[in-house]
Amino acid sequence: MLALRIDYKLNDRFDLGLFLPAILLTIFGLAAIYSATINNLNASGNFTKQLFWGIGSIIVFFIAYSVPTNTFRLVTIPSYLLSLLLLTAVLLIGRRVSGAKSWLDLGMMGFQPSEFAKIGTVLALASFLSRKNTDIDNFRDILFALAIGLIPVALILLEPDTGTSFIFLGFILTMIFWKGISLFGLFVVLSPGIVAVSSLFGMYYFIGSLIIVAAALIFFRKDIFFSGSIFALNLAAGFFTDYVFKALSPHQQKRIHSFIDPSADPLGAGYNAIQAQVAVGSGGIWGKGFLNGNQTQLQFIPEQWTDFIFCVIGEEFGFIGGIVVLSLFLILFVRILRLITSAKDEFLSLTLTGIFSIYFFHFLINVGMVVGIMPVVGIPLPFVSYGGSSLLANMIMLGIVANVYRTRKNYT
Amino acid sequence: MINSRTLTIAILMLLFFTILIVKLIDIQVFKSEELKYFAQRQQTRWESITAERGRVYDRNNLLLEYNRHDVTYSVDLRMLKKSGKKKIAQKFSEIFGKDYSHYMNLMSGSKKMVVIEKKVNPETAALLKDFKVEGLKFDEDPSRVYQYGRLASHVLGYVDETKHGITGIEKSYDTELFGVCGTKLVERNALGQIIAVSQEENYPAISGSNLVLTINKTYQEILEQELKSGIDQYGGKSAMGIIMDPGNGEILALANSNDFDPNIYSEFALDDRRNRCISDTYEPGSTFKAFTLAALLEENLVSINDKCFVENGTFRFKNKIIKDTHPDGWLTVKQVFEKSSNIGFAKLVQKIDNDKYYKYLRGFGFGNFTSIDLPGEVKGKLKKPNLWSSLSKVYMSFGYEVAVTPIQLITAFSALINGGILYQPFILKKKVDDSGKLISENSPTAVRRVISEKTSQIMRDLLIGVVKNGTGVNAKLDDFNAGGKTGTSKKIIGTEYSDTEYNSSFIGFFPAENPQLVCLIIVDSPEKGKYGGLVAAPIFKEVGNRIIQSDLEFFQDNIKPNTKSDNISTENSDENNSKLNVKYVSNEFKLKERSEVDIKKNLMPDLKNLPLRDGLLILNYLNVKYKVNGSGRIVYQSIKPGERINKKSLCILNCEEIKVNGTQVY
Repeated sequence: MLALRIDYKLNDRFDLGLFLPAILLTIFGLAAIYSATINNLNASGNFTKQLFWGIGSIIVFFIAYSVPTNTFRLVTIPSYLLSLLLLTAVLLIGRRVSGAKSWLDLGMMGFQPSEFAKIGTVLALASFLSRKNTDIDNFRDILFALAIGLIPVALILLEPDTGTSFIFLGFILTMIFWKGISLFGLFVVLSPGIVAVSSLFGMYYFIGSLIIVAAALIFFRKDIFFSGSIFALNLAAGFFTDYVFKALSPHQQKRIHSFIDPSADPLGAGYNAIQAQVAVGSGGIWGKGFLNGNQTQLQFIPEQWTDFIFCVIGEEFGFIGGIVVLSLFLILFVRILRLITSAKDEFLSLTLTGIFSIYFFHFLINVGMVVGIMPVVGIPLPFVSYGGSSLLANMIMLGIVANVYRTRKNYT
Repeated sequence: MINSRTLTIAILMLLFFTILIVKLIDIQVFKSEELKYFAQRQQTRWESITAERGRVYDRNNLLLEYNRHDVTYSVDLRMLKKSGKKKIAQKFSEIFGKDYSHYMNLMSGSKKMVVIEKKVNPETAALLKDFKVEGLKFDEDPSRVYQYGRLASHVLGYVDETKHGITGIEKSYDTELFGVCGTKLVERNALGQIIAVSQEENYPAISGSNLVLTINKTYQEILEQELKSGIDQYGGKSAMGIIMDPGNGEILALANSNDFDPNIYSEFALDDRRNRCISDTYEPGSTFKAFTLAALLEENLVSINDKCFVENGTFRFKNKIIKDTHPDGWLTVKQVFEKSSNIGFAKLVQKIDNDKYYKYLRGFGFGNFTSIDLPGEVKGKLKKPNLWSSLSKVYMSFGYEVAVTPIQLITAFSALINGGILYQPFILKKKVDDSGKLISENSPTAVRRVISEKTSQIMRDLLIGVVKNGTGVNAKLDDFNAGGKTGTSKKIIGTEYSDTEYNSSFIGFFPAENPQLVCLIIVDSPEKGKYGGLVAAPIFKEVGNRIIQSDLEFFQDNIKPNTKSDNISTENSDENNSKLNVKYVSNEFKLKERSEVDIKKNLMPDLKNLPLRDGLLILNYLNVKYKVNGSGRIVYQSIKPGERINKKSLCILNCEEIKVNGTQVY
């Protein structure tokens, strides 16, 4: 009887369905990192490093889990300002790693401010959107919300770290959407993005997308001045993208091209995309076995322990291993979504939506990239990829989710 | 409202999961085999293991050519980082003494693979053994090393980039030297580095055979030096020389003064790489008189003491004027030969009919390949009698209207003085494997008997006379007697005979009493002293003297005529005659079995089952008279194998036609 009651209580305050998938993913990740680095002299220490980061992250998770839930509300503004400060600092004194100035050196270890800026930005945006007098369909409030989100994006783009800025755009839009923006509002927010992407494909796509925007504006029947300025905004987005694209470094341009046609340059920018598919595909249903993935062991994919970690799993543990990883993520996501609907506090729900989006867009872009349905964008797979800052940030966010779960009944 | 938005998010999420799973099934289940194949193809590769090319030695086992295990360094620019480039440029400029920027420039191209240092010798490569940079690759790239540079370059030839022979023995024995390639299955990583070699799928290469040549490096050196100093002394476009063992056809030296260094062959003109001794023909001039005379003697149409009027230097024959350099009146045939009178030969050759004369010249091998084991041989030109003009025979008698290669001339000349047997010239003595074990030995090939031993003896004496008191006095050696014949022929420039350019030649042998070496010297268009006796003979003399000095004991042993051996008792003969052991291999019939007979000078060999022609060849060699009944293969011999024989022995051979496997052999 006693045991049962304690069990019940524990279950009630601590969601194993949230914690266990994350821990299992981390362990899975450690195994994959071990396999990917065992034959690589330059990265042989990565497994141990990740192990220590993992242990540290779990401690931090429990701290985030145990603090009073109100703390998050209190640290919102300081953490957002600190994020901006760090993102500015990294541009000035950061260390450049493979093209992007995204690392701050803190004594022994490196540290990526953009990982923590995610938390700061999510909290700030959640805080703003959950204010009583915020009207999400008010143009001014939308702009303000976008400003909160896009300032860090701008700083991150300056590093430049395209992948992380995609994540930011993803969770910003999801949060605004979840807050309850009207269809028209969503259109106003999204259409410049769609036009921008279309312009990358060429002139005809650009003109085509503008025609659709014009048609939508007629459909929404807003006043002519307003519609006109929206159209002008879209036009500007297209030209701006073109301008930015030309300003991108050649290897980034190549990456975008190689997504449009990966086989055009199999040894160049499309190389990773093809090698990743070969690795995953050659794993077959059952995989080649732990440490037996030739593609991994022979290092056909550079730095596989970071962004391409899913290849290791796909190759060595096969379709079965891949499904296990996907299922763990699915469980995690479903748990967070359930909590979002059951949380009574809007700030907390929005925060959880942001965290969910961060996880989900990481997952979507990363796995999508590995199996070839997304362009090659350098972002890690949450919990699984090698990377201390990333793991720590993910565990803090998971701690926030678990914290909200613990106190979910306090808000009625 | 909020819940419906969460639901939208959840549905989009599940949609994405579905797409992911479909895609995973697509590549991990349906396309898996294809991608596995792709993976394996890029991860493993069948690599050919090049066999170690055989080494080449001279007849005294002096190493002439071998392989050096050079290393070629290249970089994979896709893998190379900037710091790596700097490291490489630093290290390489340190070791190879080239500029730092030289290497940086090399590594700045847009190519994927760049060779930065080719064919680094093993000593230098050892310095780079522990130098490892991601993207830096090295490959074994062995070089063929010709130890003595230009020495015997035309005999040895050279190999191209693919390690196959292009000329010389490198070409004619390419298959043997090359060996058999092995294969191995290797696993490579993304850098192309070999990670593992499959144990099961590893078929090692079989090294090429090592060749021991008949070439004597010392003789070769002497010949080359003397040809060059000859050119220095007398001028001229080029000079050629061949030294041959008349008794078996072994080539001891073969040289063209226009030579090349096979190590760096591409820096030399193609013309210099051509082996003129076997690829170029010339009109031999007076040296050819020896063969004319031999034919006349063999047919008993003249004897050496016959008299002949040589018309005081000018002779009109069928409206053509034939001239001698030194006018004379009545001369004996011997004198005609010693003084090399064209008029004399024009007259003497009338005694032999065209077909017979042609038959003898063919018999000596003119107008046909000698089948020497070097590539690029030409046939020369010997017109058939039905194409002869009324003057052809006259001109041919003193070496015009006939084109021969130097190798043809020396081969024929050997038959002239060795007792009358024409041998196939050859350059490969034996093949040995890596541990020095004999794989196969090349035995001399007797092609045919051309003239009798008697005629040969007369010719030998006549040729000794030429050197003693004829046109060849300048060829007299210091310590030994020599025989030989001079030749001076006008070169054909376009279609006309030139009045200013000559081929001056001398062919001679020594020691006169028991010829061990025949040496042919040809100088193309000498500037000082056009005559063979003034240009080529002195070169012969220098070559001969130096060779004898280098091998004095050998020549002293061989000065005694071999007739002496008749008087030696059986007990000693084995020991004394060990040098005369000749392995005889039939070349005339390409049957599955090859007949091999051990021949000892004083003992009757077993001739049973030999083709009659081969048997007669052996008996001729042994100076045994014979009588033949029937034709085909020998089934009976009157002198039993192993019995002692002498000049008076008469052997009766019974022959029968034998059918082998339904195929008639005879």
